[in-house]
Amino acid sequence: MAAVAPARRRKRRSLPIGRILLLGFFLVFVLWPLYWMFNTSIKPSDDYLTVPPVWFPAEPTLVHYEAALFTYRGLDGLINSLIISLSATVLSALFGTLMAYSLARYNTGGRHLSFWVLSQRFLPPIGIVLPVFLIYRGVGLYDTHIGLIIAYTVFTLPVSVWMMFAYFRGMPKSMEEAALVDGCTRWEAFWRVAVPLAAPGIVAAAVFAFIACWTEFFFALILTSRTAFTLPTVFRAFIGFQGAQYGEAAALAIVSLVPSIALGVLAQRHLVRGLTLGAVRG
Amino acid sequence: MLRALGSQHLAEPLSSLLDTPMQPTATIHRLKAAGAPPRLSAFAQRADRHFKWLLVAPAVLLILALSIYPLLFSLVVSFINYDFQVPGHAFVGLKNFERVVFDPVARWSLLLTAWLSGISVAIEFVLGLLVALTMVRSFPGRGVIMSILIVPLFISPVIVGQAWTLLLQRPFGPTNYILTQLLGQEVTIGWMTERPWLYVSLIIADVWQWTPFMFVILLAGLTAIPPNLYEAAELDGVNAWQVFWAITLPHLGPMMLLALTFRLLDAIRMFDTIFIMTGGGPGTQTYTASYYLYTVGFTQFHLSQATAGSWLFLIFTALIVALLVRRLLKVDPV
Repeated sequence: MAAVAPARRRKRRSLPIGRILLLGFFLVFVLWPLYWMFNTSIKPSDDYLTVPPVWFPAEPTLVHYEAALFTYRGLDGLINSLIISLSATVLSALFGTLMAYSLARYNTGGRHLSFWVLSQRFLPPIGIVLPVFLIYRGVGLYDTHIGLIIAYTVFTLPVSVWMMFAYFRGMPKSMEEAALVDGCTRWEAFWRVAVPLAAPGIVAAAVFAFIACWTEFFFALILTSRTAFTLPTVFRAFIGFQGAQYGEAAALAIVSLVPSIALGVLAQRHLVRGLTLGAVRG
Repeated sequence: MLRALGSQHLAEPLSSLLDTPMQPTATIHRLKAAGAPPRLSAFAQRADRHFKWLLVAPAVLLILALSIYPLLFSLVVSFINYDFQVPGHAFVGLKNFERVVFDPVARWSLLLTAWLSGISVAIEFVLGLLVALTMVRSFPGRGVIMSILIVPLFISPVIVGQAWTLLLQRPFGPTNYILTQLLGQEVTIGWMTERPWLYVSLIIADVWQWTPFMFVILLAGLTAIPPNLYEAAELDGVNAWQVFWAITLPHLGPMMLLALTFRLLDAIRMFDTIFIMTGGGPGTQTYTASYYLYTVGFTQFHLSQATAGSWLFLIFTALIVALLVRRLLKVDPV
């Protein structure tokens, strides 16, 4: 007995050290690029190429933010991104909730319909975007806000549907049944009873749809050019730069990542469901 | 009235309702409802009858219009001439497919896609599992660390590529300087231009962004394992490694498969970071499947060749989806 106790104590003490090292290493790995980007964004251009590098600028400046937003049209991209992402998010959450309710409560179309929607999530975007580009050019949706809103609605629908599908299935039916028995129509049972109860789930699904739209690059790259371009596509201007625009690129990145990170961290309780399309309850 | 309400879908729930101890209340509700039938117009009645299909309609129509129709359209395009450099839309049979299949760059890009995504996903999996294992039990500061670790998931891959460009690109990035200091000898690696370092850079960026994905899912799986299993193992004096093999791994299996499949299906699309970091270059050395098809379609404007290629790529992915995802997301009846 006396021999066992110290051994066990030693084991317990040794475990956290490995844990702390691993976590510490990983935290540094996660934070370091973010810090360096922030550092670059407030660093005067003269400090770019010094050896050793400037770890923190002595005279922080906001000139890069100004240039990124106005000279490189970052502000226009920001506004476009807001309009497009918000619209697509609302549509996706709305249509997604409608469909998910029908799938969850009425088993509409059986497994085939729900799996068909899900499979859309895994289509490689390159396969969709080429023909969509041709169609959009034909019908005048190329480089329009509406065009990208529709595209983003469709591309976030599978996740919205499946997140809400899982949410409704996890919700007891009894309230809606009571409403139906009381003489409500099915629509009323859905809209007045089920939707208010599912509100937290709908908000979570909307948050993930918004983040997906906000960070999307590929569709925006191909379906827009000078009018409806979103924030991520503005970074094209900084490709292949030779030193002059590091600060602008970094400043624009900082501006663009704040909203999605804030939303994501706020909704982190639902993150597991969001990442696994509701397959796993967090 | 009651029959209209209790049609097929409600028949079962209603009967189950009646079996419960709540029976008296349910009966009262039924009577009330029977006494005051809602007045519905003919239109509303029809809407109510087809309710389930009406709810599904907007989403299904949108997906049909913007996903299925384009796919069919592109199938047509891949069999005709649709090239901004060659006029006319004549039927060309399998020529477009031949061009892709016999293009060495296409085969190279597919191979590179497999390698890059395979290696990235493997690293992400191991690292994510290790971090998840350290985060299972609660400790002070866990909530804050959790919030920091998931941050990369909410950042555009374009920005991730940009961030690593800033760190790695010579002469601006501090990475070579840091390595020089750490190793005590001059390091001058061209992270975006020299093989194999450009692959390392792309993998690092991917690992940075998506390890949290693995971590979050695996952590959810780990916390779902009943703790009494571990308690029993501790009482039996089983060592940590055996516990991992005998309890953790088998219980985590389905979750691992799910995380790996989801991640792999996204990893093979790899495009954004390459677009920003290397632009496919130097030459075609960092062409992935998506990047190759993008170049063929949108910088060389061989649109029909690109659609043919994307159909081949699509069939490839569809096979993985059919084999793995369907099994993972079995819809079990509640």
